[in-house]
Amino acid sequence: MADSSASYIHMVHRLIEECIVFNMSKEECMEALAKHANIKPVVTSTVWKELEKENKQFFDAYRARREQKADSEMETRECLQKIISDSSKLGIKE
Amino acid sequence: MLAVSSLRSTTFSSKDENQEQMESFRPVGNQDFSELADKNLLESIDFDNLFVDINAGDVLPDLEMDPEILAEFSVSPNCDQPELNTSVSNGKVEDNPRKEEEEKISSGSSWSGLDSSLSTRGEDQVVSKRDESSWVMNPVPHKGDKGRKSSTQTKHNQGKKKVDWTPELHGRFVQAVELLGVDKAVPSRILELMGIDCLTRHNIASHLQKYRSHRKHLLAREAEAVGWSQRRQMYGTAAATVGGDMLPWQVPTIGFPPVTLMQHPFRPLHVWGHPSMDQSPIHIWPKHLTPSPSPPPPQSHSWAPLPRNPSYWHQHHRVPSGLTPGTPCLPQSLPATRFATPPVPVIPSHATYKVDPADIGAPTSGQSGHHHPTFDFHPSKESIDAAIGDALSKPWQPLPLKLKAPSLDSVLVELQRRGVTKIPPTAC
Repeated sequence: MADSSASYIHMVHRLIEECIVFNMSKEECMEALAKHANIKPVVTSTVWKELEKENKQFFDAYRARREQKADSEMETRECLQKIISDSSKLGIKE
Repeated sequence: MLAVSSLRSTTFSSKDENQEQMESFRPVGNQDFSELADKNLLESIDFDNLFVDINAGDVLPDLEMDPEILAEFSVSPNCDQPELNTSVSNGKVEDNPRKEEEEKISSGSSWSGLDSSLSTRGEDQVVSKRDESSWVMNPVPHKGDKGRKSSTQTKHNQGKKKVDWTPELHGRFVQAVELLGVDKAVPSRILELMGIDCLTRHNIASHLQKYRSHRKHLLAREAEAVGWSQRRQMYGTAAATVGGDMLPWQVPTIGFPPVTLMQHPFRPLHVWGHPSMDQSPIHIWPKHLTPSPSPPPPQSHSWAPLPRNPSYWHQHHRVPSGLTPGTPCLPQSLPATRFATPPVPVIPSHATYKVDPADIGAPTSGQSGHHHPTFDFHPSKESIDAAIGDALSKPWQPLPLKLKAPSLDSVLVELQRRGVTKIPPTAC
């Protein structure tokens, strides 16, 4: 029945939006929806792609944002690791 | 009710300024402004003739009035009402002969319409005009069509027109905010990033406020969800009898306070802009979700995904959070499915499995090194679960981002192409 398909797709759409609010990637979203809502990854992926087509600008910006964050996060992590290793070195010495 | 009426009582702060403004009209109109000094300035202005020679074709396109707005502000023929728009228009004239505007105005645009039209041209100008213009009070010229200007219902807010936050607009807003960082997002910067003329800083500010409270709500839910998931851990592991530690908890599952179990496992995700939903007692998962996990359901509500109440069983489980409701194969194995870490600024410390409801320090088990202070980048599984659950249980709620939905046909076609024919799927 077309109705239930439509509502199902709409729901997947909504869930994807929620994932985007959480800054998730497509893959993460597929995983999450599969786990939490029993939605087949292929479905999630398809809807995601379609959304991307319709909202190209948004998704471009989204991707850029994520990359940006990933980079800065990487830096932070490296920095932290350095700190930790430094401090542990100190411990060892003593 | 009109703020306008209060404006009536304001006096021209500087007649000179007014005079100057009027004088700028000189080249255009044939008014004699000499008498302005002593009487109500605008009364002496014949607006109709001011820009008689204006070429109507110069009218700026974005001055188009939404008929709704016009209708909304019914024009009062009371010409004594101070004329807000003329104040602005006068102010504008001061800078550059915005004659087109005048003409537009004189053709009967309402105040708010002017607001929007002006703001489309760039709110700065408008705002500045308003700010600087002491000319707040302009008597409406006693002309029939001018009467329309006196839109009695106009709210004389400084550039605050009701903004319709379309999905696209909101999406751009979110982008801008995310780019800046939720906490650091300043309305003026957001405005810059969005690059939309129709918006005033005020609009953005209020929208931002709502957005932030929405996020806070999400966070709160997440916090709850984390605690909840800890309980689930106990629940699940108890069922699976994994680890001696868990054993003591087997029994407690029975002692699960039914109250907490049944109380709306998913606190309604407050979609900002919409009133918070009442916490209904039970949320039924949509059918396509599996019913309750199989673990010992001593409760009669077998469907219940474990509640998200703050964990009662904290501190004991060592297992990383991983169980979520609706997961069919829940108890057997503790899925090491770690989605992401909780939103706590925890430095990657592998051993801290501290689960304290008060502090969202969920275990990390070293799997992921992401410890993001906010749930922005790597949300915890619980919070995601919470959000997803909420979305599932309340499909009527508006979309958080309001992205443009793809056409159903194209989605279905694509799905078929990839081998999915039954939607929603009948089999898990």
